[in-house]
Amino acid sequence: MAKDMRETRIEDLPGPKSKEELEEMKMPYEEYCRATFDPGNEHEKPEPLRGVRWMSTTMYIFTPHSVSNLAELGAEVVKVEMPRMGDPMRHTSPFNEAYLYPLHDTRPMTGTGLGFLNANPNEYYITMDYHLDEMKEAFYRMVKMFDGLTECYRPGTFDKWKQSYLYLQELNPRFIYVWGGGFGYGPKVFGGSYDILGQAHAGLASVTGMHDFMGGHCAKHSNWCIDWYSGTQISFGILAAIHWRETTGLGTMIEFSQVQAATRCLGYAAPMYGRFGIVRQRWGNWDTQLCAHGIILCGKSDFPDVSNPQDKHDARYVMVSAFQDEDFKELCAITGMKDLYGKYKVHKDRVDGESQVEIYAALEKWAEDKSRSEVVKVLQDAGLLAEPVMNDREVYESEHFRQRGTIRYLDDPIFGDVLTQSGYSSGLMAKTPRRQNWIWRPVGADNVKIYHELLGYPTSTVQEWYDKSWI
Amino acid sequence: MCDIIWCKKEIDGKKCNTVNYLDPYCFWNWEGKVNCAECKTVYYIHMIQGFMYRGPEEVDEKPDTSPLYADKPLEGYTNYLPGIEGRTRPYECLPRDIYLGVADMVKFSARGRPVRGWRPQPPSAGIAGSFGFEWDIQKLTPEVWEEYQQKIAKGEVGEW
Repeated sequence: MAKDMRETRIEDLPGPKSKEELEEMKMPYEEYCRATFDPGNEHEKPEPLRGVRWMSTTMYIFTPHSVSNLAELGAEVVKVEMPRMGDPMRHTSPFNEAYLYPLHDTRPMTGTGLGFLNANPNEYYITMDYHLDEMKEAFYRMVKMFDGLTECYRPGTFDKWKQSYLYLQELNPRFIYVWGGGFGYGPKVFGGSYDILGQAHAGLASVTGMHDFMGGHCAKHSNWCIDWYSGTQISFGILAAIHWRETTGLGTMIEFSQVQAATRCLGYAAPMYGRFGIVRQRWGNWDTQLCAHGIILCGKSDFPDVSNPQDKHDARYVMVSAFQDEDFKELCAITGMKDLYGKYKVHKDRVDGESQVEIYAALEKWAEDKSRSEVVKVLQDAGLLAEPVMNDREVYESEHFRQRGTIRYLDDPIFGDVLTQSGYSSGLMAKTPRRQNWIWRPVGADNVKIYHELLGYPTSTVQEWYDKSWI
Repeated sequence: MCDIIWCKKEIDGKKCNTVNYLDPYCFWNWEGKVNCAECKTVYYIHMIQGFMYRGPEEVDEKPDTSPLYADKPLEGYTNYLPGIEGRTRPYECLPRDIYLGVADMVKFSARGRPVRGWRPQPPSAGIAGSFGFEWDIQKLTPEVWEEYQQKIAKGEVGEW
């Protein structure tokens, strides 16, 4: 030990004692990552949020996802649904075709659709009509035993039902209460929200999609990306609130407006308006800051002979990036656009709107007689950054994703073999990884576990509530 | 409407100039022949995700269907309402049969392992609708279990 305790010497630390020893013990990085993250063996490692108990009175994707993040990290989450109905998202399946059964004993012909997937994994499912006076006592009993709650009703609804933060903090001062919804308090307090509304009202849809002169319209993302994004933002808020509670011993309320969250994705648009009064326009698959740095269309599909239209006709797009002067020079050399290089040697010149139109048109002209994979190969062989725009099937078949465990089959204990990405797509953690235990459970599947085993109500009372449709 | 066919067929020295409207309920992903509501000229079209991938090309064949609605904007918007026999198709407010949303019952996933994608399923047998944590497929649905064993024997069950 060093004389001065503030001094840290390498020989006092665990691990290699000299630089040479360190070099000797070093594993190649690839090998180290494979051994450390070890996809597929997540369940052998501890769960970082074990011990956190959360109530989820949420619906659809946005607020459920804020809680599913906790559940994947080991929190004990109880999803409270309306008796015999469940979360409306259960009834939302692509084209009303892809369901898993059963939903509930009273509805043998109804299932839960795959649209529900990834928003509520690892949770326990109970039913409760919590706005009934008869169920208030059970609701409050849960509040006393839980760390927090996430809800998504119109602002003030839970207050009207005597279960807002104003009421619940008196029952449990450590309680963390999350409201997530559309607009939040303010002039538009009564507006509800959906992902598309968030994208539209936040100004995000106005800068998404191709420009007018390319025949484009403002566009929403096909999937509900602002729902997933906003939900994750709430999860961050919850973790911060838990950390704050460790210091102060007090809970808090999080009020999370989805339209407000989506404005964060606007990037420089708002500050630019503040500085110059310029309203940002759409620029589609190109980039306003970099050129060449966009997605181009090739003439031939990679899969011209298959029947699936997405494969047959859409496997023609390539993402290409060559905005540095040297890279752009190489791009022009291999594509035969030497004149363009002469004209746009400097990035400042080629990032200009009209130059981009000329450059991308020339690139697509060059790619006109080539397939997607040919274009990618030519560009990659020249040392440029290029990747095909892949579809779902190609993501599923991607060896990279398989080896990292990004997408995998889960043997769900109730529903069987289901392909899922879920928490496994949200980054890898060496010591405390996310995991998926089950995709979801039927409506009210854990009524006895929660009401009887956790809250202590006799099973006869639970059955009575069930018969009265209170749960 | 996902697209139109603006018929320019010359009849008696005059262009037809009828706009035939193609509604997404029918034509969103569609390949076939459509007639012009006015002059009955038949056009071949191939539409993918609402985008006119090929056509309209004039063909000398019988039409598969008609547009939903048509008008003549250059002549003061005279029009053909939906459901005029031989000219337009009736508006049924329903997508084509392949988009009717009939639940697709499956017993096996894409890689051939059992998945609970068919109904009805046996009830929970627990108090107040409670479910356990295990799907005992062999006990609950022996016929699916049997089919699964046959799939394994035939090598139809894969890792991916």
